[in-house]
Amino acid sequence: MKKTMSLLLAFSLALALMSFAGAEEALPSVAVVVAGGLGDRSFYDSASGGLELLKAEGVKGTVIECKNDASLFEQSLIAAAESFDFVVAVGWEFWEPLETVAPELPDTKFIFVDNELTGIDNIYAITYAENEGSFLVGYIAAKLSETGVIGAVGGEDNTTINNFMVGYKQGAAYANPDIRVEISYTADYEDPAKGKEHALALYDKGADVIFQVAGKTGEGVFEAAKEKGKYAIGVDSDQKYIAPDVIVCSMIKEVGLSVYDAVTRYVEDGSFPGGTVWNANMKSGLISVGFGDETMPQQVSQALIAEVKALTEMIVSGEIVVETTR
Amino acid sequence: MSDIFTIALLQNTLRTATPIILAGLGVLMTDHVGIMNIGMDGMMLTGAFFAVVGSFYLGSWLGGIAAALLAGVLLGLFFGVFVIKLGSDEFIIGVALNIFAGGLTVYLLRTIFGVKGAFSDPAIVPLPRFVWPWLEGIPVIGPLLSGNTLLVYVSWALVLVCWLVIYRTPLGFWLRAAGEHPLSLRSAGISPERMKYLASLLCGVFAGLAGAHLSLGYLTMFTENMSAARGFIAVACVIFGAGSPPRVFLAALLFGFIDALGLRLQSANVNSNLTAMAPYLVTVVMMAVLVVRTEARKKRQIQTR
Repeated sequence: MKKTMSLLLAFSLALALMSFAGAEEALPSVAVVVAGGLGDRSFYDSASGGLELLKAEGVKGTVIECKNDASLFEQSLIAAAESFDFVVAVGWEFWEPLETVAPELPDTKFIFVDNELTGIDNIYAITYAENEGSFLVGYIAAKLSETGVIGAVGGEDNTTINNFMVGYKQGAAYANPDIRVEISYTADYEDPAKGKEHALALYDKGADVIFQVAGKTGEGVFEAAKEKGKYAIGVDSDQKYIAPDVIVCSMIKEVGLSVYDAVTRYVEDGSFPGGTVWNANMKSGLISVGFGDETMPQQVSQALIAEVKALTEMIVSGEIVVETTR
Repeated sequence: MSDIFTIALLQNTLRTATPIILAGLGVLMTDHVGIMNIGMDGMMLTGAFFAVVGSFYLGSWLGGIAAALLAGVLLGLFFGVFVIKLGSDEFIIGVALNIFAGGLTVYLLRTIFGVKGAFSDPAIVPLPRFVWPWLEGIPVIGPLLSGNTLLVYVSWALVLVCWLVIYRTPLGFWLRAAGEHPLSLRSAGISPERMKYLASLLCGVFAGLAGAHLSLGYLTMFTENMSAARGFIAVACVIFGAGSPPRVFLAALLFGFIDALGLRLQSANVNSNLTAMAPYLVTVVMMAVLVVRTEARKKRQIQTR
């Protein structure tokens, strides 16, 4: 292990020397390392979208997928650090690997997406106030529900996923104090058939709107909604296009934009707030609710959208404080 | 409790069990000729992918099934050539198949559909669903029998057909002989290799059906790795069911039941990490029971001799 590490380091040094020898580049290069795989049409794809924005401005970059294989985390970070100035680690799972690897690679700037990690000078962590966005979709769900029961399918019973859930519950209760919120965890982010079963079970319990927070497993929630003719809510990206007839809205977490912002700020004035955490909240504009585009059927009325806007203002101003698990 | 033990629980059991039943029938074919095919998961995944390709481009679910069967048969042949003709280790080839299928489907997903990870489109034609209102009036049985997609019914029929073929026809006898005593079969003038090839191809056919059911019946989409180890559960069911189709059927139902029960137990405040473990826990218990039973039977046989 040590030997591979030192070999890799030597190799990276050689590469670094080579890149110094080459023409001086004004823009930094960026590698996005994702814990899972692209194609979730949600969280990871959003991060990769941020890289696309940077690429459009001439930044060189690539995406490395770890496919949920924890043994690849460290190696991928090191490999990315070899040839890129910025390494964006996408996924709360990178906590330990980053803690090990980052101090050894002081010349690389790490951006850690979706978890808090302070005190290491070359790691800038970004967390998202998903609880605030979930508050809004919880509000919408409760307002749309005719049965008085709404549901949520979570990928895993952990702090990050539960941060969605507490906001969702609070928002639902804000709309209707008598609402019942049923939550089901799949313990799997990659099995849409399982997601469908969890959603069917929730619909069976009387829920008529389900919020999915489960990556690819959540795709099955949309299938269940289509089959039952009930509603679902998308997550992380605007997912309405996947099933416009049943997905009423999506809780958007602009992971890509936040990465874009962090890198552009560095390009503009050379600032990199390493060692700190940026909580991208509703105020930053990176957390919002999406309703697809105007070609799609809308289940949420204009009046309700106006209410959501008003709530957004109240959250931004601090009038409403959304609970959090962090 | 009353909201856990409902008819929906049984419907869920049936839905969860069906891909495993189909895959299990495939695994038991090769099992009878003495080959353990742990590549089933990958074969199934490939079947699921080509079912979507066929259904999307040919605009019919029949096209989807045909494409899945073709893919399954090709992989069955591939498996057969390596294991039977070239004498490679069946486990290595099985593992290779699984890895190959994972990579191939991801690669083709990107090249054919230009997407990563997941593909769903209104143009994918799902398998037909049969709803008989007159049947649904019958309590318990009605809602279970009615409203399923095509391959659910086909899987029940196939369990019966497989049992008949394996235990009641000369062909089935030859298949079993190819696994148990290939030399006697050869002296009877029948080539054990042929039987093994036949079993491999049939295994591919079932894998194709299992995959098509997953991506066109259960869901209407393809996502990376959507087989989610169901092929391995099928292998466990075959071992537990000792290769007998009805017993494999029951083992798959048991697995489906535990899975369905597990997700409902969450509403009784059981931690989701525990409930997600349940099906695998049952698999381990099933295996332990099997070993104990087989040992006991061996002992009895020795004593009676």
